[in-house]
Amino acid sequence: MMQGPLKPQFTGARVTRLEDARLLRGRGRYLDDIDVPGTLHVAFVRSNRPAARIVSIDVEEALAVPGVYTVWTAEDCGITMYTERYDVGQPVLAKDEVRFVGEAVAAVFAEDRYVAEDAAERVRVVYHPLPPVLGFDEALSDEGRRVHAHRANLFHHTEHQTEGFAEAFASAPHRAQATFVTHRQTGVPMEPRGCMAQLDAATGRLTVYVSHQSPHQFRSQLTELLQMPENQIRVIVPEVGGAFGIKAMLYPEYLVVADAARRLGRPVKWVSDRTESLLADAHARDNRHEVEVAFDEEGRILAVRDHVFGDTGAYPFLGFPGAVGEAGWATSMLTGPYKIPHVSITVDCVFSNKAPEGAYRGVGGPVGAQVQEGIVDLVARHLGKDAADVRRVNFIRDEDFPYQTATGNVYDPGSYAESMEQALALIDYERFRREQAELRRQGRYLGIGICTFVEPSAGAESEAGSTPYEAASIRIEPTGTVTAALGLGPSGQGHETTMAQLIADQLGVDVKDVVVMHGDTDSAPFGGGTGGSRSGTIGGGAALRASQEMRQRLMKLAAHLLEAAEEDVELVDGHAQVKGVPARAYSVRDLARIAYTDVARLPEGMQPGLEVVVRYQPPLSTTYSNGTHVALVEVDTQTGFVRVLDYVVVNDCGRLINPMIVEGQIHGGVAQGIGSAFLEELRYDDSGQLVTTSLMDYLLPAATDVPRMRVTHIETPSANVGGFKGMGEGSLIAAPPALAGAVSDALAPFGVFVTEIPVHPQQILEWVQGRVHSA
Amino acid sequence: MQSVSESAAAGRPKTSITLMVNGQRHTLDVEPRWLLSDVLRHQLGLTGTHVGCEQGVCGSCTVLLDGQPQRSCLMFAVQAEGHDITTVEGLTPEQGLSPLQAAFERHHALQCGFCTPGMIVTVEALLRENADPDEETIREVLSGNICRCTGYQSIVAAVQDAARVRRESGAAKLEVAAKGQNEAAGGEQA
Ligand code: FES
Ligand code: FES
Repeated sequence: MMQGPLKPQFTGARVTRLEDARLLRGRGRYLDDIDVPGTLHVAFVRSNRPAARIVSIDVEEALAVPGVYTVWTAEDCGITMYTERYDVGQPVLAKDEVRFVGEAVAAVFAEDRYVAEDAAERVRVVYHPLPPVLGFDEALSDEGRRVHAHRANLFHHTEHQTEGFAEAFASAPHRAQATFVTHRQTGVPMEPRGCMAQLDAATGRLTVYVSHQSPHQFRSQLTELLQMPENQIRVIVPEVGGAFGIKAMLYPEYLVVADAARRLGRPVKWVSDRTESLLADAHARDNRHEVEVAFDEEGRILAVRDHVFGDTGAYPFLGFPGAVGEAGWATSMLTGPYKIPHVSITVDCVFSNKAPEGAYRGVGGPVGAQVQEGIVDLVARHLGKDAADVRRVNFIRDEDFPYQTATGNVYDPGSYAESMEQALALIDYERFRREQAELRRQGRYLGIGICTFVEPSAGAESEAGSTPYEAASIRIEPTGTVTAALGLGPSGQGHETTMAQLIADQLGVDVKDVVVMHGDTDSAPFGGGTGGSRSGTIGGGAALRASQEMRQRLMKLAAHLLEAAEEDVELVDGHAQVKGVPARAYSVRDLARIAYTDVARLPEGMQPGLEVVVRYQPPLSTTYSNGTHVALVEVDTQTGFVRVLDYVVVNDCGRLINPMIVEGQIHGGVAQGIGSAFLEELRYDDSGQLVTTSLMDYLLPAATDVPRMRVTHIETPSANVGGFKGMGEGSLIAAPPALAGAVSDALAPFGVFVTEIPVHPQQILEWVQGRVHSA
Repeated sequence: MQSVSESAAAGRPKTSITLMVNGQRHTLDVEPRWLLSDVLRHQLGLTGTHVGCEQGVCGSCTVLLDGQPQRSCLMFAVQAEGHDITTVEGLTPEQGLSPLQAAFERHHALQCGFCTPGMIVTVEALLRENADPDEETIREVLSGNICRCTGYQSIVAAVQDAARVRRESGAAKLEVAAKGQNEAAGGEQA
C-alpha cells in the first residue's frame, strides 16, 4: 500500500482559492462573455398558453425585420428529446401542440439580441386552446385531459412495503397522520443558462460552449441527438455562475443553437434572460406526501406509510424526470437517521401542463427530510414529549452501523446522535426551553427546529448522469509544474483548489504550482461531471489515485538516479531525497526535465514523460454524510414575519479537504433553505400562467434574510479513498425542515403545525388570528 | 443573404456618444435603446459587469455612476453620457487585488463569482462613505445584491475585515495602498 506524505500540508487546511483572483478582478469568463464576430443571436418565441394546439405560425413579418437572418420552427429543426421508457418526446421547438407556458415555439436568429427580440414579437402563432391539466388530482382524475394524448398522465407508479408492515402498523399503540407539501421551486443560479456554438473553420468540428455541470454527458447527448460522431464535437464549459442542479439538464434551446451553428455555418448564441429562466429552467419540488405514522408510548416510531404524488410537468428531462428523482430520493431517505423498521411507500408521478421538472440541489432530499422530521415532531406533539427526546429514542446508534434501512439503503458509519447533541449544546437548548416559556407569557413566539439529516453522496447515479467513477489525468510538465485535468463541472465549488490541494500533497509541490483544468472535452478525460455531491469524493479519489501513481513514478525515477532503494526515497518540499539526507536529492523539476529530455537516464522499462490517467470508482456505491441543523426563529404574530435569530450546524462529511470551502457550501445551502422555507415559490394561476416570472415575484433570500450561522465539524471518515463524503446538498436538505419545525414550535400554543412550505406571512396570520393562545 | 449591416443602418439609427469609463474616454455609436450593461460588456469588452436579471433586482450589474452604485441594466448607455462610470475593472489594481478584493479572497466571500463584481462595486462605495459600518448596515447595503452561493456570511466578514484594514492603514488613496497590502494579505488565512 502506497504511503501518503507524512504531513499533508494542504489537505484539510483552509487554503484560499486559486479561482478567486480572476473572479474578483472581473476576469472570469462566463458564457455570455464569449463574443465572436459574426455571431447570430437567438430569441425564442415561447408559448403563452399552458395547453393548446398550434393552428399556424406566421414568420413573415419577423423575417422582414432588418437584421433578422432567419426564423426556425419545428419544421426547420425537428429534433425530439425522446424518453423511451415513458414513450414521450419533447420536440426542441413545439410541434402541433404546446404543453406549458414558456415552451419554445420558434427561434429567431438575428444580428443582435435586441433585433431578435423585436422580431420574436412579430412571429404570429395562432393557438386553439385546450383545457390545461394543472395538478396531481386533476392529472389523475378520470375526467382530466391527457397531457400527451397517446398516454395516461400517470407515468410512474411504484410500491414498496416491508414484510410485516401491516401487522406493525395495526398493532401500534398510537397513530397520527399529516400531509406534507412542498411547492414548486427552482435553483436560480445568478448566471442564467446559455449556449454558444460554432463550426471550427479549419477542421469542421462543432464547438459548443455551454453553462453546464457535466461536459461529457452533454457531449454524449449532442452526439446522439445531432447524429454526429463524438470526435466531431467539442464541448467547452466556461466559468459557470452557479448551477445547483438545473444546469445538469439537457435543454431544447441548446440543441437548436448547436444545430443552427452547423447548418447555418455561423456562430450562434443564446443566453436566457431571467424571465425565460423562471419559465423554462428545470423546476423542482412540487410534491405531496400523505403520511401516517405508528408509534409507541416512548415515541419510538414503528411504521410509516407514505403516499407520494409528484408533478413532473409537461415533459421528462432526458435521463432525469424531476418528479421521479424527487420522489425516489425523498422516499429512499424517508427514515433519515432513525431506526424505523417498517415502511409502506407508494409513488405516483404525473404529467401536467407546467414546466418540466428536473434537478435542484438536494433533489427530493429536503422533502424527504421534511417528512422525516415532521413525523418525529408530530409524535412529540402527540405524546407531549420534547422533540429532542423523541429523536434520541429513535436514532440509529454507533453500534448499528452498517445499518440497513427499511427502504433498502446501507448506511456507512456516521454521527447522528452526536451531531444533534453537539448542535443542541451550541444553541443551549435547555436554556432556550426555559426562556421560551417565559417569552410566550410576554406574547413573544420563539421556536426551535431540529433536523438531523442523512445525505446520500457520491452515488453511482445522479442528475449529472450515471457515471460511477471519475477520471483524473496528471501531467508534470518538463519544467516541473503540474497540470491536472478532471471530468468535473464545477460552478463555484472550488475544485481547482481542492483537487490541487490533494495533488500538491502527494507530489510534494506547492498548491499554486498545480493547475487543474476541467470543462473542455478535448482536454479533460471522460468523466461524470458535478452533481449528486460526487465531485469531492469521487473526483477527489481520482485526483488522489492519479497523484499517488505519479508519485510512485517520481520515486522510482529518483531511486534509480540516486542509486537508492525506493523505500529509502522520500518526496519533501518539491524534492525527492534519500531519507534524511537532503544533500542527496533531485528536485521534481530536475526529475521532470530528465523524464522528458534526458531519457537515456531513465530506468529500464520506464516510459519517457510524466503523465498518468486514472479512473476511480469508489468501493461504496453511496457514502452517507450527516449532520444536524438547529434553527431558532421568532414569529411576529402581528405581521406574520419570521426572523431567524440563530442557526447552528454540526456537519459530518468525513475527512475535510478544505473546511473553508465546506463551510461556504453550508452557508449557501442554509440560505437557499431559508428561501425554500419562507420565500420561494413558482406559482401558476388557475389558468396555467406562471405568475412568478421576475425576481420581484420569485423572491430570493437577501443578506438581511439570512442570519449569522455557526458551523462545526465532526469527521467520521468513509471507506472511500481519502475518507471523504460528499456534502454539496446536505445543507439545503436540512434547512427547510429545521426552519419549518421552528415555526411549528414557535406557534405550538396556537396549535399550528407546519406541513407546507414555503410558509408565507399571510398564512401565519390566518393561523394565529382568531385562535386562542393556549399556553 | 441580406447584408446585415446595411439593413441595420436602414432600420435602426445609431447615435454617437462619449462615455467616461474607468477614467478613459470612449466614443461609440450606440442605439438609444441599448442598455448601459450591454454597452459596457459587448461594446467595450468590460465583461466584469454581469447581467443576472435585467429586472433591477439582483445587483450583479452594479457600476458606480459618479461614485454612486447604479444598476447598469436599468439605464440606457445614452443616459450615461457626461457621467463618470466605474466598473469592477476600474477598481482593480494593475497587479494583484485591491484591499477589498483581497479581503474577499481571505474570507472565501465568493463561490461562483457571478455576483462578485457587483458586490465589490457596491461595497467599495459603502466603505468610501462609511469607514466603520456595523453588521446591520452592511447587510442592509448588501441586500440589493443577490448572492445565491455564499449565504452572505463570508461576504459580511470580508467587508468588516476590509473596513478594518482600511481604517488601520488610513488608506485615503486606495490605489496606492492596494499593491503593498495585497502582498501582505494575499493567500493568508482568515
Ligand atoms: S442585472 Fe441589473 S439588477 Fe440584475
Ligand atoms: S458567488 Fe455565486 S452568486 Fe455569489
